[in-house]
Amino acid sequence: MSEPNIEGNAGNASTAPAEPRHMRRAIIIWIVLSVVLIAIWLAVSQFILPQDASSLGAGDNFTFNVFTVLSIPVAMFVFVFLAYSLLVFRTRGRPTEDGIPLQPRLSLQVGWLGITSLLCLFLVIWGLFAFYQETSAAATPNTLVVQVTAQQWQWTFNYPQYNAASNGAQVIELPVNRPVIFYVTSDDVLHGFAIQALGVRVDANPGEVTTTAVVTPTQIGSYTVRCVELCGLLHSYMWESVKVVSTDSFNSWIQSQGGHL
Amino acid sequence: MSSTTSTTVAEVKHPTLFNRLVPSVVSGIVLGIIGAVIAGVLINKITTALSPDSVPNDDAVTVAAYLGWLLFFFIGIGAFNGIIKWGFNRHEATPAEELELAGKDQGLWRYFRYTTDHKVVGMQYLFTVLVLFFLGSMGAFMIRLEQSRPGAIFFDPSTYNTIVGMHGMLMIATTIVMVSGPFGNFILPIMIGARDMAFPRLNALSYWLLFSAIPIFLSTLFLGGFPTGWTGYAPLSVQELTPGMDAYCFLILVFATSTTVAAMNIVTTVLVMRTKGMTWGRLPIFVWGVVLSVILSLTAFPSFIVSQIMVLMDRVFNTSFFLAASGGSGWLYEHLFWFMGHPEVYVIALPAMAAAAEVTAVFSRKPLFGYRVMVSGLIGICVLSVLVWGHHLYTSGSENALAAPYMLDTELISIPTGLFFLGMIGTLWRGKIWVTVPLLFVVGMLVNFVIGGITGIYLADLPTDEILHGGMFVTAHFHFTLVGSMVFGFFAGFYYWFPKMVGKRLNPMLGTLHFWLFEVGFVGTFGALFYAGLQGEPRWSANVAPPFATANTIASLFAVLIAASVFVGAYNVIYTLVRGEPADADEWGAKTLEWTVPTPVPLENFEGELPVVTSLPYNYGASLPEPVTSAAEITGAITQAPMQTQGQE
Repeated sequence: MSEPNIEGNAGNASTAPAEPRHMRRAIIIWIVLSVVLIAIWLAVSQFILPQDASSLGAGDNFTFNVFTVLSIPVAMFVFVFLAYSLLVFRTRGRPTEDGIPLQPRLSLQVGWLGITSLLCLFLVIWGLFAFYQETSAAATPNTLVVQVTAQQWQWTFNYPQYNAASNGAQVIELPVNRPVIFYVTSDDVLHGFAIQALGVRVDANPGEVTTTAVVTPTQIGSYTVRCVELCGLLHSYMWESVKVVSTDSFNSWIQSQGGHL
Repeated sequence: MSSTTSTTVAEVKHPTLFNRLVPSVVSGIVLGIIGAVIAGVLINKITTALSPDSVPNDDAVTVAAYLGWLLFFFIGIGAFNGIIKWGFNRHEATPAEELELAGKDQGLWRYFRYTTDHKVVGMQYLFTVLVLFFLGSMGAFMIRLEQSRPGAIFFDPSTYNTIVGMHGMLMIATTIVMVSGPFGNFILPIMIGARDMAFPRLNALSYWLLFSAIPIFLSTLFLGGFPTGWTGYAPLSVQELTPGMDAYCFLILVFATSTTVAAMNIVTTVLVMRTKGMTWGRLPIFVWGVVLSVILSLTAFPSFIVSQIMVLMDRVFNTSFFLAASGGSGWLYEHLFWFMGHPEVYVIALPAMAAAAEVTAVFSRKPLFGYRVMVSGLIGICVLSVLVWGHHLYTSGSENALAAPYMLDTELISIPTGLFFLGMIGTLWRGKIWVTVPLLFVVGMLVNFVIGGITGIYLADLPTDEILHGGMFVTAHFHFTLVGSMVFGFFAGFYYWFPKMVGKRLNPMLGTLHFWLFEVGFVGTFGALFYAGLQGEPRWSANVAPPFATANTIASLFAVLIAASVFVGAYNVIYTLVRGEPADADEWGAKTLEWTVPTPVPLENFEGELPVVTSLPYNYGASLPEPVTSAAEITGAITQAPMQTQGQE
């Protein structure tokens, strides 16, 4: 990076012979801390990041990891230089003399702008690619269609391909490894339809039908549908269970809900 | 009122109790309540008579009562006296009358009247902001109390939703005015070498509009509260039956009008009232921050006002702007709201960042590291932030063709923000750093701002937002930016300018304690909520679901530290007001103009001639002996034209 310009600007050659090489020290601390923290993050991230039980969730978590590995050096740069300045350059009590009036050289300004711009563009381009990769999968005849209707304060699920409905059941089921698409709407006010573990999230708007990306659950397990837009009194009670089960279990469940295969 | 003898103001007179109370805030409140009752009863009768089944329209009654309160409050406080005295081409106000309006010789009572002196308005704002922060933080602690354990334990969901909404609205409104109000009014005119604001009476109007909004806001408690949170999303706000929702809408109309008036006043003041030599390139960076912020608010707030007028129309007159069943759309509300809602966080951010930069230069004893670069950064943020609002609609389900440009623009803001950080770090680097309470708050701000800014990237980017939108992660993120960064910036300015404004020294030990309790409690609380958000906890949870219980308990325990910090800070302010030792005129050795005038600041700020400015107020190190700065380019840059040689963008 281009920090040495600051030091070059300070004219460190003859001013204070005993002066330690502050810039070099700070940069070494910065690099060491960044590497250590990135290693720690990669080790613990699986315990922190959301559960990924679908094709979408895994991709989202990968993006999350990439961004975090990039951000750690950026954050540490600020933290290290801040802490170093405060610890090393502090005076005892009110300072009696002024600091050296440093100004950034043009090369530092341009370098800084260039690096932040590159980082920023990387985030945008990566995000766009990841997003369109996720949303580009089109529904096929095999894709399970689930119609979701939100109302204050419960969810109703219809499986039009099976002529089945959840009929107020507290638990709905999805077959594992089969693509599914949700058509989401609302009967009254704005709700937010989210199954965090599957990486599915879209608002339920009154008078509109919105769709999620096609998502394939990859792990058998029990997950939660939550409302993520404030919808009035019992908003925080508006959740239900989603079970991802084997195809056989799903078939028998859908028949128990009045559907036919 | 009653002052038709306008010629002999200068004579010594002993004001009677009546003359003291009328006009003042007391007569304003009395008349305002009378006006509210009259208007309410009147509309109640009319709507009952008009309605086929003889039921009054509660929403119309509530709105009418608020209008009555506003009109009569301002009659009572004397806002229209000027028009009666000097309007209609009667005669110009004499200098003596102007001084009377500015609160000359009225002692402490001038703080309770329609006083035009910018320093009085600044102090009114300051103490209002402190009281509102105190109230808002109590709301926050109630939220943490409720969320400390799973289930609805202390409040029923309706009460909880109202507490969340009131906490949010109160804190957002307060943070919008927290820097531009107190410091923008008190400090900014002195900083640019002016004797007062460009429109002193508008200045008084802007404060008293804010004041008159407070009873409207609190009235929601007696009208059933509102369930929508501070965002007031539309189909829900129209559906809501209790008139508590009208309080929310009307509050925003009054508040946004107040900030608009204040914004126009500040922009005009900086445009035309700068003293000789105060060119744009020599403006202290704080002035830049405030001006950019109020310009941004002028573009953003109209859509806020419009959205709430439309909600009120839907509620009172049964129009259907936002009702899908009758052809309206909730997306319309979301767009109108966030067109204000996202620029608004930069309205909060810009002056707080600029105040922090001001403090950093003073306590590093160094010029700002690249004044022009930093100002460009602030300008860049101001321009880019107008077009970022769409990222609040990533998961709204509306057409996502625009998601890419919104995302690009949102992330572009990290570039000018990076310039700001470059300036801050460069200013501290190799300075003579005097670690005081204001500087501690700046350091806390930078640390929290990095965390808040980086977590913002996950929310701005489409794939990661997919798993975080509407969750606790968002709550933690915007608390890191708004509270951790901007409120810390406010406190930096508060501890820095308090000695000038009040004339007394805040206790540095208590200030340091305030900072550490606040910072540690804050990072702990919202760090835990980041984790809860990653695990999928939705926002606005009256009932914490069991999987998130641990994280929420930890957050609530850390919030105890924040609560302690609030009381330490409050004790420090009250103790200092009563017993504090007097402060010096130039308490910190700063070079901006407000530190050149005496403390307390005289009525027209500068005794005698206005100062003439010849350089930026950061010429630290200019007097260093020649050998020390052997680098010729530095001394050249400093002695000839500070900062002029740098940054030719």
